[in-house]
Amino acid sequence: MFRTTKRFRRTLGTLAVVAAVSLTANACADQDSSGSAGSATEIHIGAWLPLTGATASYGVPEKAGADAYFKMINESGGINGRKVKWTVKDNAADPQQTVQIARELVGQDKVVAIVNANGTSQAEAAFPFVLTQSKVPVLNEVGGSESWYDPPRAGLFGTQTLYEDQAAAVAAWAVQDGAKKILVVHSDPAAFVNVAEQVGPVAKKVDPSVEVDRLPVKYQTTDYTPVISKVKAAKTQAVILILTSPEAAAFLKEAKLQGLDLPTYAYAPVAAESTVSLAKDAAEGLKAVQLVKAPSDPDPAVAEFRTAMAKYEPGQDAGFLALWGWSNAKVFAQIAKTIKGDVTSQAISAAYAKASSVDPGVSPVMKFSASDHLGTRSVQRVEVKNGVWTSVGDFYTPPARG
Amino acid sequence: MSQFLLVLVSGVASGAVYGLMGLGLVIIYRATDVVNFAMASLATLGLYVAVSLHDRGVATVLGILAAVAITVAAGLLVRETVIRPLGQGQLFSALVVTMGVSLVLESLAGSIWGDQPKAFPNLVDGTVRWSGAAVPVQSLVTIAVAAVAMGLVGYLFARTTLGSAMRAVAESADTARIVGLGAQRIARLSWALGLGLAALAACLYAPRSGLVPTALVAPLFRAFAGIFLGGLTSMYGAVIGGLTIGVLDNLAANYVSASFRDTFVFSFTVLVLLIRPQGMFGTRTFQRV
Repeated sequence: MFRTTKRFRRTLGTLAVVAAVSLTANACADQDSSGSAGSATEIHIGAWLPLTGATASYGVPEKAGADAYFKMINESGGINGRKVKWTVKDNAADPQQTVQIARELVGQDKVVAIVNANGTSQAEAAFPFVLTQSKVPVLNEVGGSESWYDPPRAGLFGTQTLYEDQAAAVAAWAVQDGAKKILVVHSDPAAFVNVAEQVGPVAKKVDPSVEVDRLPVKYQTTDYTPVISKVKAAKTQAVILILTSPEAAAFLKEAKLQGLDLPTYAYAPVAAESTVSLAKDAAEGLKAVQLVKAPSDPDPAVAEFRTAMAKYEPGQDAGFLALWGWSNAKVFAQIAKTIKGDVTSQAISAAYAKASSVDPGVSPVMKFSASDHLGTRSVQRVEVKNGVWTSVGDFYTPPARG
Repeated sequence: MSQFLLVLVSGVASGAVYGLMGLGLVIIYRATDVVNFAMASLATLGLYVAVSLHDRGVATVLGILAAVAITVAAGLLVRETVIRPLGQGQLFSALVVTMGVSLVLESLAGSIWGDQPKAFPNLVDGTVRWSGAAVPVQSLVTIAVAAVAMGLVGYLFARTTLGSAMRAVAESADTARIVGLGAQRIARLSWALGLGLAALAACLYAPRSGLVPTALVAPLFRAFAGIFLGGLTSMYGAVIGGLTIGVLDNLAANYVSASFRDTFVFSFTVLVLLIRPQGMFGTRTFQRV
């Protein structure tokens, strides 16, 4: 009797294991779909954003800007009669959490695309599941690197001018302004070094007689007294900052205290409202490049953004980061509008590949193709005038690198 | 020469901040056996209150006093609710609890005041010319305020009955209780004093760094390096260790590499600890097995 019960239990256990394995396999097979199907009344998209944690200062306004755009178009009927449902989940900038969120968005929420998410390493952690396994496109991610788009990957399309091209643009600007000796002050992690290294070749391409040196600074330095001493000793004619916004503000404040008055240029992360609020009058005259027009710009497209932010996101600043979110949402909406029939994952990817000219107004015209998944290399030049970031001229495409 | 002077003054000012924070850490550690990792986050709460008051037109000095008061009150609340129930001598449990409290407070600050960097006002603006260098008055004020605060703490511990009682509790809480000293009251006073010093240090540091929920992580890290360099049990050691870290950090950035300033400073600290594990002014302790 005892032996029979034991055997019965063992058999039952084996069956339970087999059942569990088959169920898991089925679940995995279900997820290995070719993207999600579309709905007749709604376009359900999703994003992971850092709404808490160290980079929440990026995620929160980025969400507000995109939310304002989607609320505005939903109020006016949506995209071809379909309302946009944008589900955002907080990943706290954590790659592991991002993978979990990606599974929820794709597996449970059945989103047809990831739109206007944030983070390079976070997205890379989710790519195997989202792009490769689920065939759900990742569109207009804030972040990214050259390797994302060269060679182009199925379902991955970007709207953000690469940091390397931003560095190229400021290099060209400094040289065009007449600088013959340029010092690049940059944080020391590899991500900053790689960007800073782009300045020299492009500056020399514009003017072969230009000299470019680099000054690496410990990441998150707050005391810039020794750094300014070194900049003074370098006897340079222009400085290019590849730093975070608080670091750049600390640099500018110390430069003003020590009487260092040099034309100073910076890439997009420095062209933030926080740089001006932290550095105050020391930021006056700072030149930088941005992905979008200045939020104060009189352009009607930017005015529409300001109005929508005031109406739909009244508690949020209508600043650069919100404008990034707005621009990304607008690019998605304009491309989704070209889709005839169901708005599925495949249809969205195909529409992006055919979107040869998308003009969001607030950012450069995006040109996608089957072989080019990065919409733009252009930037907007901006300058701090009377304490406000102000657009300088129209969008600018830097000389090719390499 | 003028550049050297600037770098030196700036280094002493940074070191004074690390020294004050380190002093706060040592006072709390000696009185209650708690390495208070939440100190920076508690002081950050105080800074946000000070900025909020400043934005409403309150004078900076009053804002700083409010920051000290809030930090002390929040710190005592933390001690009474989550540290004290652990009991005496729970060094590692208390360490983990303060780390947890620190993370919670950072999130709380982010939720209430947002994560965008905020400017913190200088106590004094402007520069003074000294040997051809434009020395920021804020740096000189930082050094002066820190020196006065350290002097007062020194006086408290060396010349007053309360200071003697705090030292007695630090030496042996049980013995102090036997001779009639209220160990819990002394512990609360030590936490209040340590946190008050940390809040003051934070107010002197924040004008340079700006204010985000994690703004004080870097100086706390350096304050720890300072107290290990000076000796975890020595108040003088904490001050001198902090000053050494600040000055070396700036000199290394100027004369070695702006990128390897931490590497240089912490290599020096490791070297000192290899030669003298108890730090420059610490006392070596032995435990009977």
